[in-house]
Amino acid sequence: MSIDIFQAILIGVVYYLGFNGTPWLTNLGATIANRPLIAGTLVGFILGDPVTGCIIGAAINLPYLAYISAGGTVPMDPGLAGTMGTALAMAAGATPQVAVSLAVPIGLLGTMLFTLRMTVDIAFVHMADKAAAEGNYKKVNFFNVVPSQLFLAFISILPVALGVYYGADIMTRIIQSLSGTPLHVLTVIGGVLPALGIAMNLRAIVNKYIILFFLIGFILQVYFHIPIITISIIGFIIAILYTELSMKDQGAR
Amino acid sequence: MAEQEKTEQSLLKKSDVVKSFWLWMFFYVSNYNYERLMANGFVHALSPVLKKLYGHDKEEMKAALQRHLAFFNTEPHFGSIIGGMTIALEEQRAKGKPISDQMINGLKTGLMGPLAGIGDTLWQGTLTPILLSFALSISAQGNLIGVGLYILLMPLIMFTIAYNLWMKGYFLGREGLQKLMAGNMIQKVMTVAQTMGGIVLGGLTASFVTLSSPVSFHLGESVLKLQADVLDKLLLGLLPLVMTLFTLHLLNRKMKSTTVLCIIAGISGIGAALGIF
Repeated sequence: MSIDIFQAILIGVVYYLGFNGTPWLTNLGATIANRPLIAGTLVGFILGDPVTGCIIGAAINLPYLAYISAGGTVPMDPGLAGTMGTALAMAAGATPQVAVSLAVPIGLLGTMLFTLRMTVDIAFVHMADKAAAEGNYKKVNFFNVVPSQLFLAFISILPVALGVYYGADIMTRIIQSLSGTPLHVLTVIGGVLPALGIAMNLRAIVNKYIILFFLIGFILQVYFHIPIITISIIGFIIAILYTELSMKDQGAR
Repeated sequence: MAEQEKTEQSLLKKSDVVKSFWLWMFFYVSNYNYERLMANGFVHALSPVLKKLYGHDKEEMKAALQRHLAFFNTEPHFGSIIGGMTIALEEQRAKGKPISDQMINGLKTGLMGPLAGIGDTLWQGTLTPILLSFALSISAQGNLIGVGLYILLMPLIMFTIAYNLWMKGYFLGREGLQKLMAGNMIQKVMTVAQTMGGIVLGGLTASFVTLSSPVSFHLGESVLKLQADVLDKLLLGLLPLVMTLFTLHLLNRKMKSTTVLCIIAGISGIGAALGIF
């Protein structure tokens, strides 16, 4: 499958719309268009095959399942993996399993874009300071949106469009040569990566007994194969009971 | 009711507060940056309110804009109660009540941390993975219904939470803050979120982190398979569990997440190349 320049730009736009901080879909856009399952499906629509896009996007989504971006840091970029990863995998005819191994390194490049953006935007907030000193709120709002979004659109659409347009051939060659040990290595790494998102989430939870609760969920799933929604209901019940009991204890002391 | 009393004597209409809420939802990180994070977005959201309260007074307007351009960062949906409360405080201040800059800044900085903790745990740590795994279970084979459900459910749930907290923050105002801070409400919600988040993350680890070992030992005639005969007997999913806790350990040593990513990818990659995994 080949990707024309128009499709390449549209894929870049999907990436831009899912970038954390793009206002057009409200900021939930960043949790929706940014997730490889959704981004992959949208890329599939653009390339004329939403079902394949969805299947590949779903596979790429796994390492990012518990992805967390808190306090202005991103460990990896599910949006770039989901858009560019899906597009290149579809162009090269890769299997979902191979797609995920190739998309994750692509997603790492996205963290550089995020850092670049968070740094350059400092200049705009200083301009907003000047506008505030004039008491001009319209100008403050202007600096919140216009320059920052023009810059963000530029650094997100351009690399993706170019990467997708020129990368398809290279990716096809990489995928054809990928077999045996290198493929196995990538697959193993892909399987371990969800641990990072989960661990970052765990670290954000400052609670003495967090590992114990974590083990409850782990054992429920590993031995009883309870679906995640049911685990969350059980988790909610335990959470209420634990909170009530521990708070009661505090009150009595 | 308190709500009615409030509207009778208020300078703002409910529609101003609602407008402000939507500006927050759309623009809170339009100009996200390392120096002040959501500050510019916060001012943007408050701008219709500030215009109404201080539009006639250039000096007050200037002061208000500068006041809210200070560092601000929280989880935007659960933290939206801060926006509502700030509006209530600004309204009081515009009516001549003795509300200092310090009081407003104190409210914002005092609440942004705890609410970010609750919000990130419940939203990114619990709700998003639950909805995603649900959508993935439907869509992994190419059924687009899962994708559609995720696109519908996520905004439905998050806007409901954020809108109600924003309005509640406004109508409760300063008294609400005192109530929140005096009782152990925040701590309670936080503990529930943390406990539930921990359990869900445990379930996710078991479902989605995969690592196993093909190593086997030949002892004379018999073969001992490391995975099936040793590790699985100890605890199913032992390797994924150890790997996840090891990752957590590295993060707790204040390592950058990108460094940690390289370490775990390196270990599993080298292990795979050597035939250990």
